[in-house]
Amino acid sequence: MVPCPTNVGRVPYQRIRTEAKTISIDYSAAAWPIRDDFAAAHARFWQRLAKAGSWWTAAERIAIAREVRDSPSCSLCVERKRALSPNSVSGEHRRATNLPRAAIEVIHRVTTDPGRLTRAWFDGVIGSELSVEQYVEIIGTLVAIKSIDSFCRAVGLPLNRLPDAEDGVPSGYRPNAAKLEDAWVPMIPADANTGAESDLWTIGRTGNVIRAMSLVPDEVRTLGDLGAAHYLPNAMVMDPTAHSPHLDRQQMELIAARVSALNQCFY
Amino acid sequence: MLRASVMIEGNEVNMHAINDGEGARGISGGDLLIKFAEAVVGEDDAVLARRRSDVVEELGPRAMVDAAGVASNFERMVRIADATGIPLGAGLETYSAEVRTALDLERFNMGKS
Repeated sequence: MVPCPTNVGRVPYQRIRTEAKTISIDYSAAAWPIRDDFAAAHARFWQRLAKAGSWWTAAERIAIAREVRDSPSCSLCVERKRALSPNSVSGEHRRATNLPRAAIEVIHRVTTDPGRLTRAWFDGVIGSELSVEQYVEIIGTLVAIKSIDSFCRAVGLPLNRLPDAEDGVPSGYRPNAAKLEDAWVPMIPADANTGAESDLWTIGRTGNVIRAMSLVPDEVRTLGDLGAAHYLPNAMVMDPTAHSPHLDRQQMELIAARVSALNQCFY
Repeated sequence: MLRASVMIEGNEVNMHAINDGEGARGISGGDLLIKFAEAVVGEDDAVLARRRSDVVEELGPRAMVDAAGVASNFERMVRIADATGIPLGAGLETYSAEVRTALDLERFNMGKS
């Protein structure tokens, strides 16, 4: 177990093995049998987290993950969460990293109080410190960490130690087809995922929640990979008879709906 | 999808359990799964441990692990939807209109745009 000094988690970290830059995550010590596909999908994301992305370096991506873990103990976030309106509370976030101020605001708000984000808030954080491409990669990284950490906590496992950053520079890749429609962020139209993006979804058949991350195509790939283990492969989601190995679909959707309601999500 | 899966099973369930946090007795282990989901979203580890044990006892450890997977998946999906300002889209808007009205889900969308 290797506790990280910036961690504020209540449990020590799960041990991970790093060999020749391949990362494996092992849940075999859990008190219950954990399906192998959970550990495999989590390890694939950890592997990706250790490398430069499209708009952030590996060190910055890992810093995003640290902020996700640290934000629940930020006193500004705690106060804002309690307030009738988050805008009524001002102050400085308790930061765990040297990420730009706008990035810290995004990570803390989306992690701790996602149900009250507004267009005005989004417009306020995008600017000279943070591009919309960087924003989308932050969201993709944040939600992957949130779901993996949430899973570990839910089954009583310690959190996985964050990987060490590998060298490399962000690719700066932006898909040509991405354009602004009626979401806050540009997205690839449902029928325009051709060429390098042809694997993201079956052309013409996807939901906005999948397209939402498509300004950074690797975030869509991670979304599908983690979703296949945690929930269902994207192609099976709209089939109401599809279900996980040990729950029926009604049980799954009841959990999904309750989590969404608690997070005040309209979607 | 909850409504669709319930209809396919020929079952009846109180959809208001989604908002109320109880009354999901039409689904096997429904109330325990709701309490487990609430504990996953919540911050109290002791409560989570109790809810986890309840699910293990009633539905078995493998079902509890799958439930943890689903709950943690939607901790992710809600943040994507909320942070990107996506609209429902025409298909989903039509498909979910009845349930959205019954559960007053638009209250979560007020003042966002």
